[in-house]
Parts: sequence; C-alpha cells; structure tokens
Amino acid sequence: MSVKYTPVQWNTNKYIYDAVMLVGVALFLYVFLYAAPGILSHERPIDPQVHNARAFGACAFVMLTVILCIGPLARLDKRFLPLLYNRRHFGVMTVFVALTHASYILNWYFAFSSSDKFEALLFANTSYSQLAGFPFEVFGIFALLVLVILSATSHDFWMKFLTPPVWKRIHYLIYPAYLSVVAHVSLGILQDQQNHAFTVIFIGGAVAVGVLHLMAALHERRADAAISAETAEWIDICDVSEMSDGFAKIRLLPAGDRVAVYLNNGTLSAISNACAHQNGPLGEGRIIDCLVTCPWHGFQYDVTSGQSPAPFTEKVPTYNLRLEGTRVQVDPAANPPGTYVEPVPVPDHAAQEAPA
Amino acid sequence: MNEAEAILMGLRIWAMIGAAVAAVFLTIGMDRIDEDAQGAYVFRPLLIPGVMVIWPLVLWRWYVWETGREAWGRRYDPPRKAHFAVGMILPAGIALIILTGLALRQTWPADVAPVQLLPAQEVSQ
Repeated sequence: MSVKYTPVQWNTNKYIYDAVMLVGVALFLYVFLYAAPGILSHERPIDPQVHNARAFGACAFVMLTVILCIGPLARLDKRFLPLLYNRRHFGVMTVFVALTHASYILNWYFAFSSSDKFEALLFANTSYSQLAGFPFEVFGIFALLVLVILSATSHDFWMKFLTPPVWKRIHYLIYPAYLSVVAHVSLGILQDQQNHAFTVIFIGGAVAVGVLHLMAALHERRADAAISAETAEWIDICDVSEMSDGFAKIRLLPAGDRVAVYLNNGTLSAISNACAHQNGPLGEGRIIDCLVTCPWHGFQYDVTSGQSPAPFTEKVPTYNLRLEGTRVQVDPAANPPGTYVEPVPVPDHAAQEAPA
Repeated sequence: MNEAEAILMGLRIWAMIGAAVAAVFLTIGMDRIDEDAQGAYVFRPLLIPGVMVIWPLVLWRWYVWETGREAWGRRYDPPRKAHFAVGMILPAGIALIILTGLALRQTWPADVAPVQLLPAQEVSQ
C-alpha cells in the first residue's frame, strides 16, 4: 500500500518469494550448464557462449511459462493465490534472464562482422517470405521489447497514474509476447534440436499455458453467468440468510462493474469488487475489524466508506443498499470512491429466516 | 541508409524524446498530479525506462490528470472480458505455431536428408 512511493516495497513474504525464485533460476541454470549440459547440445560440439545463450533462453522460456500459469491457476483454485502475490518480481527477473540470453546471442553470432551488431541482427536474415528458414530472431526481439515495456511499467506508481484498466490493457501484451516466444522457439531451436528433453519441456510448458487459460476462461464464463444481474432500479443480490458474517456476495451489475456486498457484524455494506491497486477481487477477501483485505496484494478498505485506513489513501466506490423483507438489494449507481454509506442493519428474524 | 539503420535511428529518436519527457515529468509533472509522489525522490530513477518506452501515453495521461477529465468509474472497470478471448486465442495460437514448427523440421518425423533452402548468399555488407 502506498503512503509515499518507495523503489521496492519489501516485506518478509516478498523476501521468501524472491529467494525461492532466485534459487530456482540458479538451479535451472546449474542443471543446464553443468549437471546435464547434453540437454541443450546438438550432434556437434557447441561453443560455451552458444551453450550459455541456450541455457538462459531456456530459463527465460520456463520462467515466462510459470508466470503465465499462475494467473489461470489462481482463478481456478484460490490455493494458488500466494504465487500471484509477488509475480511482478518474477517478471522483472525474467527480463534480466532474457536480456542475458539476447546479449550472448548478439555478442557471439553478430559481433564479428564489420557492421554494427544491432544492424547485423536486423539484416542478417531477411527471408520473411518463407516459413522454412524464417528469421525467427524477429519474434524474440518483439517478445523482449514487450517484456522490457512490462517490467519498466511495473512500479505501483504506473498503476495509479495509468489507472488499473489502462495498465492491465498494456500488460495484456504478455499474450502476444508469449505467442511470439513460442514462434521464436518453434522456428528457431526446435528446427535443429537433437536432444528432445528441451523439446518436451517446451511443448509441455506451452500446452500447459494454453490449456490452463482455456480452463480459466470457461470457468470464469460460468461464474459470470451465475452472478450477472438483470437491468433494474434496484438489483437483487441474494437472501440475507445466504450471507456469512465477514464475507461478501459478488454481483455483476448491468453496466459491467461488480459489487461486493458484505455482512459485517449484523449490518450490510457494499463496495466495488475492484481493488484500487490492481483491480483485484475485493469480494473474495474477508472482513476483520470492518476492514476487508484484497486477496491479491493485501490492500485494505473500510467496507462502509471504501477508504483505506489512514495513513493510506486508496479509495474504492461504495453502493447504496436496502433490505426488502429478507432480500438484499443494491442500487447499481455507484457512489464516488470513498463515500461513506450508513450500513443497513439486519433484523435478527431476517437473518434466521430460511430463503423461500 | 538501409532499413536496419533506419529502424535503429527511429528507436534512438524515440528514446531521446522519451528521455526529455522523463526529465520534465519526473521533476515537475508527477508532483503536480500525485500527492503520494510529493517528497518521494528515490524511486523516480526507476521510472525513467518506463517513461522512455511509453512516453506518448505518459503525455496523454498527464494531460488527462491535469485537466481533470478522468471519469472515476473507469478506474474500477477492469477489462475482464478479454480473459475469455485470451482463453480461446492463446491455446489455438500455441497449437498452430508448434505444429507449424514441427511440420517444418527436416529431420522429423523421419530422418531425411537436409534440403538447402537458399543458395549461398553474401554474408557481409
């Protein structure tokens, strides 16, 4: 949470996350460079620089694959949410590994011509009209540019400045970038790969990313159908007896936004389901002492006002509620972020009545 | 100037304009639009690469903040529907690209003699 921006907001969980990630990267590189160098070898011996380039390239691919698996896994099963928590450090680390791969390539294959090595990279192969022998480097260049853009705009400042939806749209570039990486590998090293350990890792990883995204998309569509609301002046949420104290019911409103309606110590309050930080699902968080905690990154909000506790400054919109008999209903017109709304008390008999 | 030189020149010009935008935005602009940035300076060098790569967007967002044109409701409406399109396009694209790659391999599924794709070209300019 921000009071004043700092370069990196560290805490114990992030140290542990990053330590595990760094150990994983070191282990991967050790295996591919020293323990089982044959995995990346060809029929003929290769130079150490080429071997290093392939090890870092393979590592960057696996890191990107893991990063892309985390999102759908967390949408499918909440137990994977801790992996989402510090994914941006994972992404930034991936960029450095990918840049190392690119620099080994540039400083070996293109460094010994009389031309500038960056120019040589662009004009060494221009067979764009054929698939066999296609200049696969261009896919790597595109993916690397995207990764640099995403890591360069990963600080919390960018999310607030660009707004989470704009920031999210920019970060959707990761999907064309991943397809580009798959093309870079498919039309590059896969054409010449003789030891198929990496072929299996590559195809297995890419297929896992594809299948998980497909499963998450279908899962989310079913969930959206279950929570969508008809257009009305007041939107019916649920029967009050279906609510659990400290937890929310989420409803998709006609305008496309989502409301999270909480039962909090016998009173009802409603705020936007989208966290001000990265639009994480606030309705999946639990209330403790009137504050709900975003399950993605731990931002907290008072459910009666939509405001983060002082000294934090984040705010989310609130919604007006009413109780019609035992039915909880919400006004779909959101109040400006941070607007206090008097909680609606739930009579004891209403909470105990079984739904019709 | 060949195409490669033109592309690199374009990138250099883009980065130089970005550096100029970064210099103004990080010293003057961000204090005017974001109270959390006031008095916080250590993190600003971290933002320089970001401004350099997306400087047109920075200028547009700066304009929106300065003129108060922001509609607050949009901030809480993430593009979640795109997840569904991604869920369809990503697996189809991955399958298509990998199958194309495997089909192009000259030594798979059966070992065949490699084919020379192009005659030898001049390798240096």
